[in-house]
Amino acid sequence: MELDVNGARHEVTAEPRRALADVLRDDLGLTGTHLGCEHGVCGTCTVLLDGEPVRSCLVLAVQAVGHEVRTVEGLAEDDPLPGAFAEHHALQCGFCTPGFLMLLRGALDEDPTVVDDDGRLDALLASNLCRCTGYEGIRNAAKVAAPREH
Amino acid sequence: MRGDDRLTRGRGRYTADLHVDGCLEAAFVRSPVPHADLLGIDTTAARDMPGVAAVLTADDLTDVGDVPTMFGTDDSPPWRPLAADRVRHEGEAVAMVVADDRYRAEDAAAAVRLDLRRRPGHAAPGRAGRTDRLYPDHDDLALEKEFGPPVADATWTNAHIVIDSRYRQQLLAPTSLEARAILVEPGALLTVHCSHQYPHGLRTGIAGAFGLAEDDVRVIVPDAGGAFGSKSPTYPEYLAVVAAARRLQRPVRWIEDRTEALTSASRGRGQDQHVRLAADADGRILAIDLQVDADIGAHPLGAALPGQTALAASEAYAVGEVHATFRSWFTTTAPTYAYRGAGRPEAAYAVERAVDELAAALHLDPAELRRRNFVREFPYDTPTGRRYDSGDYAACLDRCLELLEPDRWRGARERPTGVGIACYVERSGGEPGILEEYGSVTVDPSGFTARVGTSSTGQPHHTVFAQLVADRLGVPADTVDLVEGDTGEVPEGHGTFASRSTQMGGAALAGAADALVDEARAQAADRWGLTADDVAWDKGVLRAGTRELPVAELAPLHAEHRFTSPPAFPYGSYGAVVEIDPELGAVHLLRLVAVDDYGTVLDHTATHGQTLGSIAQGLGQVLIEGVVLDDEGATVMPDGLLDYLLPTAAEMPRDLRVDETAVPAPDNPLGVKGAGEAGCIGVPPAVVNAVADAIRPLGGDPARLRMPLTPQVVWEALGGERSDGEGRG
Ligand code: FES
Ligand code: FES
Repeated sequence: MELDVNGARHEVTAEPRRALADVLRDDLGLTGTHLGCEHGVCGTCTVLLDGEPVRSCLVLAVQAVGHEVRTVEGLAEDDPLPGAFAEHHALQCGFCTPGFLMLLRGALDEDPTVVDDDGRLDALLASNLCRCTGYEGIRNAAKVAAPREH
Repeated sequence: MRGDDRLTRGRGRYTADLHVDGCLEAAFVRSPVPHADLLGIDTTAARDMPGVAAVLTADDLTDVGDVPTMFGTDDSPPWRPLAADRVRHEGEAVAMVVADDRYRAEDAAAAVRLDLRRRPGHAAPGRAGRTDRLYPDHDDLALEKEFGPPVADATWTNAHIVIDSRYRQQLLAPTSLEARAILVEPGALLTVHCSHQYPHGLRTGIAGAFGLAEDDVRVIVPDAGGAFGSKSPTYPEYLAVVAAARRLQRPVRWIEDRTEALTSASRGRGQDQHVRLAADADGRILAIDLQVDADIGAHPLGAALPGQTALAASEAYAVGEVHATFRSWFTTTAPTYAYRGAGRPEAAYAVERAVDELAAALHLDPAELRRRNFVREFPYDTPTGRRYDSGDYAACLDRCLELLEPDRWRGARERPTGVGIACYVERSGGEPGILEEYGSVTVDPSGFTARVGTSSTGQPHHTVFAQLVADRLGVPADTVDLVEGDTGEVPEGHGTFASRSTQMGGAALAGAADALVDEARAQAADRWGLTADDVAWDKGVLRAGTRELPVAELAPLHAEHRFTSPPAFPYGSYGAVVEIDPELGAVHLLRLVAVDDYGTVLDHTATHGQTLGSIAQGLGQVLIEGVVLDDEGATVMPDGLLDYLLPTAAEMPRDLRVDETAVPAPDNPLGVKGAGEAGCIGVPPAVVNAVADAIRPLGGDPARLRMPLTPQVVWEALGGERSDGEGRG
């Protein structure tokens, strides 16, 4: 199959049952996408599929054919999210971090006003789990990284 | 923090991310039932499946030693890496498949057939209802201990009031987002990459089980995705993976999946508690008696850990008679072991819930009652054998109340509202045997390298320790590299748990930096024909009169320090304001206050992160988390993390007020006490006390409150009829 990942095309031979996360990690070496539960709850495996956050442990690689996949390695050099996460201590062990970054990248692209309302922001962040930080830093980083004019 | 730029760009290297040529992947076949005789294992079909390199059972591992226990008993029954003859908890590993790919390993694992004959299981601690021992040669009571002299009968009979309460500490799944992970490369030097808190302990465990010299084993901890106490043992699966790698002479990796982590990995807490307080009419506590019956699981990995609860029974109070006992019972459940707090949250909960009941019974302000009983002179020897080092417990509580504003909430809201507080004292640094740590500092032409025996699983050691050494030497932090988590680089160490890293490892590094300065001055003096006293260290440059020498010119230069000290006793006061929905039983946290005293703080950002993270886990225990088992010990969590709920951003109160007081630790050269576990200790009793406060005026019964405080539990405490049979936790 041919996968479009981070703007590049990759020819991959993989069994149809393989999850997108496994193909990204094992076949393409993109190990920034982590697996925390492999059953769709924790969100550490979040990637963007045509700009939408999806859980790559629940998507088969073959389902991604014909769509644009973006992983943490594909965030733009000048994307403000990684720096904001570091600056606001939005990570400790860092295992959940790529998932939160991709969740937020997708959400901010869709509607940057999501950070303006505490309830909406928490509802968004509640899609993913972090066991280390207590989320305060993640909330703050999300606000700082949202575009100023929206 | 150092390393964040890697981790935020997807360039972390966790064990699952390591690329090693020819690496095989392992999957385990596990017992589907809590207790059974293992009559046979049929691996024939599995062996023939595509990609399978080996299927191992207990018979293949007879030359491997037993699994070491961490806090076991004097005569622990043998614990085999793969179960032979009998399985004693659901999820116990009985066979291992090694294949060229994880999918194929799991396919083959599913094809292994087990012949099992069920035996009755026992999930609850205690003798009641038991018809079958777990071990023929061992009583089900694995360990029993007593601390402090028993409380005199007269104290109970003469007391103005006796509070008599029973509590349950439910089992919790530590649930680091990266589950267990290990990759073993065989060879003359056996190299083990493992997400682990205690690499030197793992090295000892593996060397011991395989009859190897410690120098023949190297343990490297790559990036680790959290641990929270659960990643310090040498688990049975690790020995099985090492055995496979050695036998096949191929690298083998095992990445635990979440289902395994929830059913078969170690859990925390797990205590039935009985606490009695005797007090006079003014609320002065005369005696505390705490009895713990702990469900320690099928193997005594943490059999002695409830001792941490018993030892802490005095909490923050100067009470003349304190007596605590624990009994650790084998149960047909996965081993109960350390989880953030490891014995101290349990103690704080029992005592602080009971103290609140005492205040309510005497119609005394709970804060005032605590003040009347606080320890005020230090050092203070508790009747159970702790020596508290320093503190100002009343000042900490006062600060908590300032932030909590208890009076502001009374009658101010439509729905029933409650305010609760809890105070704790915990022990940090560890116990004799690990109350020591290794640190070294080396100079080479490119700068300074600090080495320490701790091991980060997400804590910012690289930032805090490099800064500490740099400050000690008067040099820029970016000239100092930190190396830890690699037994090939650091000769000895005790790892990261018990809130010990900065207290013990930081002090070791400070001592090593000081020793380096002394050594450099002595060597410069030699060169110049002076005495060391004539030579000054000035930010990495040695000076005597007009002479000067950058320390790099003395390279290589190396100094070590082994730091030992008694434990330290951090403490704190927590406060919670809750609102109850009386129709539904739902609890809303309106405000949460945490004031902790970690002694002198080196890096407030780091301690703040630890406080927040431990608060989230404390909220998890009190509000939503709990392993659900049936009476025989089988987990009832078919949907994984949809059944075992972790706190999300939506559970974190928006009004969260965190502060610190700072009374230095007298036994630590940096004044530091440990800071990793506070919120897990302070949050649960504060929140339950607040809910008790809210339901008392409604005629509710606080004795029916248990964790987690699901709407069902609160509704029942308000008098609602229990409708269904929930499993035990
Ligand atoms: S790994 Fe995909 S949601 Fe947890
Ligand atoms: S930083 Fe460890 S899980 Fe989020």
